[in-house]
Amino acid sequence: MSDKADVWQGTLALMVLKTLESMGPQHGYGIARRIEQTSGDRLQLNYGTLYPALLKLEQEGFIRSRWSVSENNRRAKFYDLTKAGQRQVKKATAEWEETTAILARFLAPAEEA
Amino acid sequence: MRRLRALWMRLGGFLRKPQGDSDFEAELASHLAMHIEDGIRAGLTPEDARRQALIRLGGAEQTRQAYRERRGLPWLETLVHDLAYSLRRLAKHPAMTAIAVLSIGLGLGANATIFSMVSRFVLRPAPVGDPSTLLSVQRRGETALSWPLYNDLREQVKSFSGVAGYYPLVPASIAGRGEPERVYGQAVSINFFDAAELRMTHGRGFANSEENQPVVVLGAGLWHRRFHDDPAMVGKTVTLSGHMFTVVGVAPAGFHGIDPILDAQFWVPLGSADRLVPSLPRGPDRNQGWLFVVGRLRPGATPTQAAVELNALAERLARSYPNTDKDKPFIFVHSGLLPREAQNGLLIFLTALSVVALLVLAIAGANVANLLFAQASGRQREMAVRLALGATHGRLQRQMLVESVLLGLGGGVLGVLLSLWATQTLSAIQLPVQFPVDMRIGVDWRVLLFSFGLSILSGLLLGVAPAWAAARPLLGSALKGEDALARPGRRWTLRNLLTVAQIAMSVILLSMTGLFLRSLQTAASIDIGFRPQDLLSMSVDPRVHGYTPERTVEFLNQLRERVAALPGAVSAACTDYPPLSMASNRAPFHFGGGPNSGKNDPVTNLIMVTPGYFETLGIERVAGRDFGGETASGAKIAVVNRAFVKRVFGDENPIGQQVTGGGVTYQIVGVAGNVKTQTLGEDLTPVLYRSLQQNIGARPSLLGYTLVVHTAGHPAAMSEAVRRQIYGLDRSMAVFNQETMEEHVYSAFFLPRLAAMLFGVFGGIGLVLATVGLYGVMSYAVSRRTREIGIRMAMGAQPGTVERLVLRQGLVLTLIAMVLGWPAAWMLSKLAASFLYGIHPHDALTFAVVPPFLAVIALVACWIPARRAASVEPMMALRTE
Repeated sequence: MSDKADVWQGTLALMVLKTLESMGPQHGYGIARRIEQTSGDRLQLNYGTLYPALLKLEQEGFIRSRWSVSENNRRAKFYDLTKAGQRQVKKATAEWEETTAILARFLAPAEEA
Repeated sequence: MRRLRALWMRLGGFLRKPQGDSDFEAELASHLAMHIEDGIRAGLTPEDARRQALIRLGGAEQTRQAYRERRGLPWLETLVHDLAYSLRRLAKHPAMTAIAVLSIGLGLGANATIFSMVSRFVLRPAPVGDPSTLLSVQRRGETALSWPLYNDLREQVKSFSGVAGYYPLVPASIAGRGEPERVYGQAVSINFFDAAELRMTHGRGFANSEENQPVVVLGAGLWHRRFHDDPAMVGKTVTLSGHMFTVVGVAPAGFHGIDPILDAQFWVPLGSADRLVPSLPRGPDRNQGWLFVVGRLRPGATPTQAAVELNALAERLARSYPNTDKDKPFIFVHSGLLPREAQNGLLIFLTALSVVALLVLAIAGANVANLLFAQASGRQREMAVRLALGATHGRLQRQMLVESVLLGLGGGVLGVLLSLWATQTLSAIQLPVQFPVDMRIGVDWRVLLFSFGLSILSGLLLGVAPAWAAARPLLGSALKGEDALARPGRRWTLRNLLTVAQIAMSVILLSMTGLFLRSLQTAASIDIGFRPQDLLSMSVDPRVHGYTPERTVEFLNQLRERVAALPGAVSAACTDYPPLSMASNRAPFHFGGGPNSGKNDPVTNLIMVTPGYFETLGIERVAGRDFGGETASGAKIAVVNRAFVKRVFGDENPIGQQVTGGGVTYQIVGVAGNVKTQTLGEDLTPVLYRSLQQNIGARPSLLGYTLVVHTAGHPAAMSEAVRRQIYGLDRSMAVFNQETMEEHVYSAFFLPRLAAMLFGVFGGIGLVLATVGLYGVMSYAVSRRTREIGIRMAMGAQPGTVERLVLRQGLVLTLIAMVLGWPAAWMLSKLAASFLYGIHPHDALTFAVVPPFLAVIALVACWIPARRAASVEPMMALRTE
């Protein structure tokens, strides 16, 4: 267990949005599995935390939900990106890349000091 | 934006709770089902798959909780729970709730009423455009300025974009339908409405070319009353005192001039005002101040800049006109406030009232806090159980605070209702002034805001101590069923302290009340110097109907003769200032015929009278003769009062001597007794009565001329007959200020009566509340000591001993309170004495009577619980609990 990383605060929302962007409408369980797969099973997601996060995104208007039927013929609640959500993915991605780029400069071995 | 939207959605989630719950239940079920399916597909047993799924979820109940918290607003939910719980609890104890709301309501009502006065007279800005940049300019000791000074200000102070002047009271009789009516207006400079930045509801203000034109702006009240809101009045003419004036505009409703209390109803240009008031001296005389001046600050100019400029101007003037302008710095106040000195007096009065009202509220608050304590001790087992079950102290305290704030708000609502009634009652009081004032007060938005804030604050304050104590019961004692709020070994409980504070405040309150009642009593025994019975008075002002001075005298003489001849009339006389009229015409007087000698000349009230005045009013005639037989052009004669003789002549005989004042020399022919000429509270003032016939051309009184009739029967019964005589002489003559002299004197008692009434009501409320509080504490103490008392009695204590024990405890509290309250009352009474007549700050009777009186009340309040204690049946007491 301990060799798997926990999801950092604040990054879960972006992962959810990015997942929905690439996969289209998906239910909560599907999103969770997909996030784990994408991370190459390096992330250990506590599924219970996913639902409040989805609710928050929905309250903020980035995603919407409706009840539908899954590929296994099971009723499930499907989440989908809204227009605002699509914009938010781009914005948050850019911000995240900016942050990591800056951090990378700090962490890189000092070449030209 | 997003946050706002989320908050909104959460609010929605909070309101649609059950639906959301079942929705998430279904989502969770579907999630688990899919996870289990996957697990089975991977080769796990159904049980293992289910277990795995639940572990990965992190617990179904935890997930539900996290989801619920995100969906709604948790703090709002607990608040709503607390509110609902508190309301239920309050509804379950209707008696306690009613007492608490009533107590706080009385206290808050008193405060809201007083604050409505503060709001009206101190906080409300003048009803003009941007009141913050309109300053009213005065000089030290002079509220009104002279014409040359006004022009200096206009020309030399550059911080002002406009300087306007107005003469505050212009009487006129307005003709038209029905009986002629006397109305008051103002004479204003033509830039008055521009400087005030006032938009007319109809028509316009004055144009620059209209300085001397007979044009008039009507007040909304007059326009409504006499012209039925007719917009077509603009451009028509109205008749003011027999002169035609063209209406150019109608002022907005609520504008009665810039003064906060005068009730002006029309405005005419200064140049045309001499048709209505002769002798507004627009000449070079720097001595006569009659014009009130306001300045509009230029955009960007600050009051400080204006002050600098005004100081410089005052210095220049002092150099140029040392006789009149030396040591006369300018002062200014924001327009809409009373003149500086009046404002200070008013502030002291309102502060005293506010202190008293806050005392009442504090006593009420202490009472309710005590009540809540009693409640809390009844709830300690409930609290202990809730604590034992895991509720936090904070949560319990919050719930109790919600409860007390609810009580505070309930009291606030009641208080506002009470103050609505109180302000209406106070507004209906007739003021003892003969010119129109508007002193109505009401509950405005400032009062509402103040009441709301004060009720929340008092709710919090009175709840905080009981909440703190109640949320910390000694768990062990509580669960054993013992009193868990009483800390072992502590004799001075918070409740005792509250009671002591309450009684101490009552001592202060009652002492103040006593002082004011004594002041009223003193006022009632004041020698006013004349006989108010069987006198009818009414006023006319022939001059505003275009009468010359000669014709005015003729009119008044004819009127006197006709009225005196009426059946039921004993005699009749006229004067320009009846007694207790608040107004005066004053001048310094000195012995002999030369010019003014110095500053020590006694300032004397000048009153014009006709022959028979002293007999008609029952004023004592001490020496010499009455008026009569003098001619208008002959040497001027005068009758002076005792105070005048004492100041000017000492022990010499004044009859036949000459005195000079206001540039006129009079020969004294008689001496009369002292009369209260302006107010009940005035000190003995020198008065010089002069012949109406000889002096009618002098500066006229604003009050017109008052006819006083001595009647054989009830004076009010004659009023119609006297009126008919006036209309018989001139159909269009406006009659005003009609009243019996007893009514007139009664209204002069206005201030002491108002103060005594307010303080009496407050004192009474405070006393009742404090008594109830003491009774409550003693009852509670007895109920707590039932077992102890039972043991004492079982050991052989007599009922009388037990009774004394309880009584002693109550009286010790009372005694401590008095020791604290008495000196405070002693000091406060000094403040009270500074603004009300006839109060001796250390009135022995009041300070001797209040403590024993309070002690008796306290004795009664303690006696009932003491009796209950003495009647405790030992065996019953030991078996309880």
